[in-house]
Amino acid sequence: MNRTLLSSVLALMAGVIFTSQAAHAEFKQPHAAGIETYGYAWNSPDQDMNRALAHAADASKGEAAYKVCKGCHKPDGSGLADANYPQLAGQHASVIIKQMMDIRAGRRDNPRMYPFSGEWIVSAEEIADIAAYLNKLPPPTTNGKGNGYNLPRGQALYLKDCVSCHGKAGEGDAKKFYPMVAGQHFSYLKRETRESRDHGRRNASPEMVKVLKNYSDADVEAVSDYMSRLKTTR
Amino acid sequence: MRSLAPKYLTAMTCMAISISFASIVQADDAASKTINIAIEVCAGCHGVDGNSLVPTFPKLAGQQKVYLLRELTDYKTGKRVSETMAPFMESLTLEDLPHLAAYYAKQKPTPGIVSNPSLLGVGKTLYLQGNSKTDVPSCESCHEPDGSGSGKFPRVASQHTEYALDQFRLYATGKRTNGARVMKAVAERMTEEETRAVAEYMASMP
Repeated sequence: MNRTLLSSVLALMAGVIFTSQAAHAEFKQPHAAGIETYGYAWNSPDQDMNRALAHAADASKGEAAYKVCKGCHKPDGSGLADANYPQLAGQHASVIIKQMMDIRAGRRDNPRMYPFSGEWIVSAEEIADIAAYLNKLPPPTTNGKGNGYNLPRGQALYLKDCVSCHGKAGEGDAKKFYPMVAGQHFSYLKRETRESRDHGRRNASPEMVKVLKNYSDADVEAVSDYMSRLKTTR
Repeated sequence: MRSLAPKYLTAMTCMAISISFASIVQADDAASKTINIAIEVCAGCHGVDGNSLVPTFPKLAGQQKVYLLRELTDYKTGKRVSETMAPFMESLTLEDLPHLAAYYAKQKPTPGIVSNPSLLGVGKTLYLQGNSKTDVPSCESCHEPDGSGSGKFPRVASQHTEYALDQFRLYATGKRTNGARVMKAVAERMTEEETRAVAEYMASMP
């Protein structure tokens, strides 16, 4: 028994030594404290974000820097409903900056996008430029929508719980970092709303999580469907 | 040690070819030091004009200057590791590198060799659209629709398929460690078949 234990310990140690010596590149997204942590404050000051926000953004430079994003989010910023790639055209620059910085810092888990979001490929200033560029693009109306079966329920929930922050037309609030939800893909809205409710979206606003606490899956779907059909006046 | 031997042999063969090139082409005083280096150090493997004939050695002709300089610098500083390149890099100084990068960027690339045309269709779709099922972004977004690359994003058009496939493997296994964060993610998400198809399509682009 002891011998088995000893040999497995030795094997484990050898494994550790071997792994630490191998010059292999492993690039994992960091993990920062989020909503699961006691004392979490939403949108707390962040150096990387402040650098981007302080930058005098240049949309034409952003168009060039956007190249590393458009391989998934498409040249018109419309994303892809089937793949849950969010629609970004017309989104507030502040929102894009905040979400990017949350992913870079590991406050929002996104292993799919993380390799394409770090400072090795885009600087904080370039992120501000990209955000300014995307903000100027017209939001497409061909975004993915839900099945439309439960829109009255979706509308009632939206007007009761969401409108105070995300606005009547789903326009959000640039100054407060609240995203525009109008014209977003239904599949993406559904996933993010559900993840916010279940604490999977770790950079979510605690206020919103409180609101969503008692939402059923059907409620999430209904309100997401309603939001996907909103149109901003821009 | 045994497994290293073929690599040293390759390196020595390259050196021997380089020396013979050097004796044929007598660079006169007007010829720049850069051309001398290209002939004496690099041509054995990469061809005098950067169009290598050996499919495992990359074509450098027409390559992006910024990218080439980064790669050469990374070889020199050990950030990009290659046993084949190491002995040649020793004879170069950091000051030589921008001139070499500019020299190869100016050369005209020869057409690539497609060995399996049946993969071109799949390769083209992947290159232009990626594969959203596995979160593979399109290649064209960084490497340009015509494969010409830009700045730090290398030209991939008319590159040898063997070299491209080697790089996909090195990225996926974490063995190419420079400029690798993006390409490691891409290569990891692609199947062997997908990398073959994309490599064929890249070789097919003029």
